[in-house]
Amino acid sequence: MTLKYIQHNKEDIFKEWLNRLKEDSDETITNVILDQNFETYGRELVELAILKISGKKDEYERQSENFSDRIVSLGWPLRFVVNALDVLGDVVFDEMVKDKYIRPENEAKVMHDLNHWLKAMNSEIINDYTVSWERTIANQKIALQELSAPLIPVFEGITVMPLIGMIDTERAKQIMENLLQGVVKHRSEVVLIDITGVPVVDTMVAHHIIQAADAVHLVGAKCMLVGIRSEIAQTIVSLGIDLNRIITKNTMKSGVEAALEMTKRKIVPLEG
Amino acid sequence: MDNQSCVKIINEWDIVSARQLGRNVAKELGFGTVDQARITTAISELARNIFLYAGQGQICIEKLYENGKTGLRLLSIDSGPGIKDLRQVMEDGYSTSGGLGAGLPGVKRLMDDFQIDSSPGEGTDIRAIKWLR
Amino acid sequence: MRIPILKLHDCLLVSIQWELDDQTALQFQEDLLKKIHDTSANGVVIDLTSIDFIDSFIAKVLGDVIEMSHLMGAKVVITGIQPAVAITLTELGIGLNNVLTALDLEKGLEKLQQELGE
Repeated sequence: MTLKYIQHNKEDIFKEWLNRLKEDSDETITNVILDQNFETYGRELVELAILKISGKKDEYERQSENFSDRIVSLGWPLRFVVNALDVLGDVVFDEMVKDKYIRPENEAKVMHDLNHWLKAMNSEIINDYTVSWERTIANQKIALQELSAPLIPVFEGITVMPLIGMIDTERAKQIMENLLQGVVKHRSEVVLIDITGVPVVDTMVAHHIIQAADAVHLVGAKCMLVGIRSEIAQTIVSLGIDLNRIITKNTMKSGVEAALEMTKRKIVPLEG
Repeated sequence: MDNQSCVKIINEWDIVSARQLGRNVAKELGFGTVDQARITTAISELARNIFLYAGQGQICIEKLYENGKTGLRLLSIDSGPGIKDLRQVMEDGYSTSGGLGAGLPGVKRLMDDFQIDSSPGEGTDIRAIKWLR
Repeated sequence: MRIPILKLHDCLLVSIQWELDDQTALQFQEDLLKKIHDTSANGVVIDLTSIDFIDSFIAKVLGDVIEMSHLMGAKVVITGIQPAVAITLTELGIGLNNVLTALDLEKGLEKLQQELGE
């Protein structure tokens, strides 16, 4: 019965629902609504709710998971989704009252149906949302690890490792393993570690770099540090960090030239 | 107990058996080559300390399963002379035997968790854990 | 078991193939120095490719051997240290900073020729 009413008045309910959301002054909510595709997704959410109440369990589950995945990637806050469902419940109830669909003798039953319906949907959406959120985070973590420390062979015997972002102990260990395994695999004589993309070099980061250089020396190669910006040079000296054991160059260009020289080669212009 | 195996350290050869036991357990638990080397080296340092300073004792290796994490715990137990100044032995480069003085602080760096208890005249008890990443 | 030490022209080649126990390490130290004396070799390459761990004791013996060889006029190059071994050594705080190293036996011999040629 409730289902029939909702299906019948779907358009009105949807419009009223949109209006009420627009009236909300909460910033997280207005931000979502300002999106030009909001109407499409909003309609989908309402359709999903109707699918839920109609009791088509399999289809609902399939669509709901799919929907959660998309809104996570769109960046809808969970708070918005929960609030939107709340508003939907209010709208349906108010419309029913307005149309005199609710009468004293069936009020309790309709209330119960509505509550039951939205509560179940709420917890399912939260669950789906959390699952796809966790999946996103796990994927990003893997992506970050892959991004963490690529090793690029540029010439025979010369390899470059660009470092980007903050370096913590866990990452430093990862970088060290990649670095050494790469040096041995590519049979590099010189590795250039580029720290242009490292925002801060404190004593801990410097310590990790020195350790990496020592380890590279042990496996039988040389380590060069390139991309030292002026502010980094200043902090290194004022912190009293001793990088004397490591060859340092300001740019990748001069680093590569020095590395070629160390391996008894140089770049010459073609004649003619 | 199934999860724990021990090696008595009485002579130099026992250091080798302790290392081998540690490496096998580490391999079995799925540690990578670098962590295997860390664990084996830590065992070697601890076992050698027993041999050099306490004369005898034992090294135990225990598989740990806690809060969904897997790990390996090293226990080094002896009833030797004990350590007078714990802070001093944890300093890099401190050695009474002409070694490199990298032993205990080195073990601490190789493992994830490190605890030492010692009282002069009663012996030394060291526990160190490496978690599977 | 003793570690074999091979002579190649004026160099000595050592490839350590199995886990070193304390006695073998000390025996090796003695054997190598004697061999340097007997052959008056001026270069030594020690290959550690098959070694999967080095603790501070072995590191100390190696460092000592290298220093002693220098005193006897022979340069030493260490080759083939595995990544895992290099990482544990640096975490132990052992950098072997003054030691010559190379990726493998071949590059080690090249490096030795360079050093001796200078």
